[in-house]
Amino acid sequence: MKSKIIYKIAILVTVLYSCSPRNISTKYYEQNRTTLDSIQQSYTKLFKQKPFIVGFTDKAFENISLEIITDSLTYIYDFKINEKRLSDSLFKYNLNSKAVTELINQMHSIRCTWVNSFDYFVEGEKKSLVFLSIKPVGLSRPFSNKKYYVITYFSQKQYYDKKGRLVNNRKQRQLQKLNGEVFKRINDKVSYTVSSTYR
Amino acid sequence: MNFLLKNYGKLLLALCMFFWSTDVEGAIKQLRETDTTSTSSREEAIKFIDGIKVPELSVYWPNINPVSFLQNIKENIHEPLGMYPGIGTNFCGYGALIYLFLHDDPLGYAKFMLALYKDGKASLGISTFEPAEIIKQTAGTLKYKGLLDIRPAEQMFYLTLADHFKGYVNIFNRHFDPGDENTFWASVNYAKFNRMVRHLLNYKVYARGTDLLQPSVGNTYDYIRRKMQQGIVVLYLNNRILHKKKQEKIKLGIPTHFVILQDIMKTKEGITLIYWDYGHKTLRQLKPQFLHKIVFGVSQCIKKKAIEK
Repeated sequence: MKSKIIYKIAILVTVLYSCSPRNISTKYYEQNRTTLDSIQQSYTKLFKQKPFIVGFTDKAFENISLEIITDSLTYIYDFKINEKRLSDSLFKYNLNSKAVTELINQMHSIRCTWVNSFDYFVEGEKKSLVFLSIKPVGLSRPFSNKKYYVITYFSQKQYYDKKGRLVNNRKQRQLQKLNGEVFKRINDKVSYTVSSTYR
Repeated sequence: MNFLLKNYGKLLLALCMFFWSTDVEGAIKQLRETDTTSTSSREEAIKFIDGIKVPELSVYWPNINPVSFLQNIKENIHEPLGMYPGIGTNFCGYGALIYLFLHDDPLGYAKFMLALYKDGKASLGISTFEPAEIIKQTAGTLKYKGLLDIRPAEQMFYLTLADHFKGYVNIFNRHFDPGDENTFWASVNYAKFNRMVRHLLNYKVYARGTDLLQPSVGNTYDYIRRKMQQGIVVLYLNNRILHKKKQEKIKLGIPTHFVILQDIMKTKEGITLIYWDYGHKTLRQLKPQFLHKIVFGVSQCIKKKAIEK
């Protein structure tokens, strides 16, 4: 009887561990590297032409939020994925409609919830990073608050401590949080975290 | 008599509270009546700040480069809409407050900032700011906040305001630790925001709203539109719906965000809202029900007239 209970507990622990965010995170980037890097590259290229932010705001990945950034205003619109208004708006604001639609489809295929770019400064010099959030199926387990796998692509090499956590600089080595989260090393320019929010 | 003896402590406490509150209320009332603050024009502020030489490195703010500091103040006076409370921070309430300050009294803003930098303390309205040592050490070091990274004067002001003003949302995190610009330490509840404006600036504030329930003002659009015609309107919004960060279906109906309303109009699609927050203006189209759902507070800020001074 006792051994049966221990056996059941062992199975439960194994199942829970296999579903844990940590386990998924360590493998996820390498498994999906081609698609993720492709999204980052397309987005960076399109952002340079005309700044915008795009993401899926619902669990079914049917509703899109599109933010178009101009000098005077940021326009925020919500669309259904195949809605004609989406392509009309892309055309109206001089975005590359075909390429943005391809990017959205690519994001949809991998359950990428959000992509944006923002500036940061190193000794006064402007750099930029691309912020990508994904909601992998493995992270959608009950009892887990952390549901989004967030990747940051920096434009230059970053510093990490011995545990592989992002730090502010080579000398001080203080933990450098982004959006309140500690990021871990994937490679010199790419890091990840598992977060409760997608942006 | 027995009752008095038994409740002596309570009575004493009530008496102290009464005198304390009348004292504070009295000071505020007196300030409102006498209205000693003065307003200025942007031209005056530009003339003043352009004549200021780069100050020496402050002993109080060791991580704030004086050249960047002065540059930042100049930028804010020339382009007040460009002021940027930073990515991921909880500085939106302070951002809205400084927006009002820059629009009402840019010269006062410049003088206050220079005094705070040079002396490590400064007064504004009925408040005197003398930030904690850790605030002085942190200002100028915030990173990965977008443009705020290179705006040390803004970092100084946001951190100083958050260090000075406390509301019930700050009860469990009253003292700054690194990274607290993103936490409840920096949060602003509705009463705290209105209190800050009343204490510091030359505005009369007519506020309707709470932290938990939407204000019952009839038609939200009509009410906001009416208020906008008489003064600057600050909206207290549920940002979890406006700027979703999670894909969940059930969302907490809690407001967390302050924006300065620029325009609101009815269109074919519903209601078009243009507001200022985080360094730029944003345009959003909403359904009327959605507008009612997200608005938790409407603060109308009207400049005090000369006759009231």
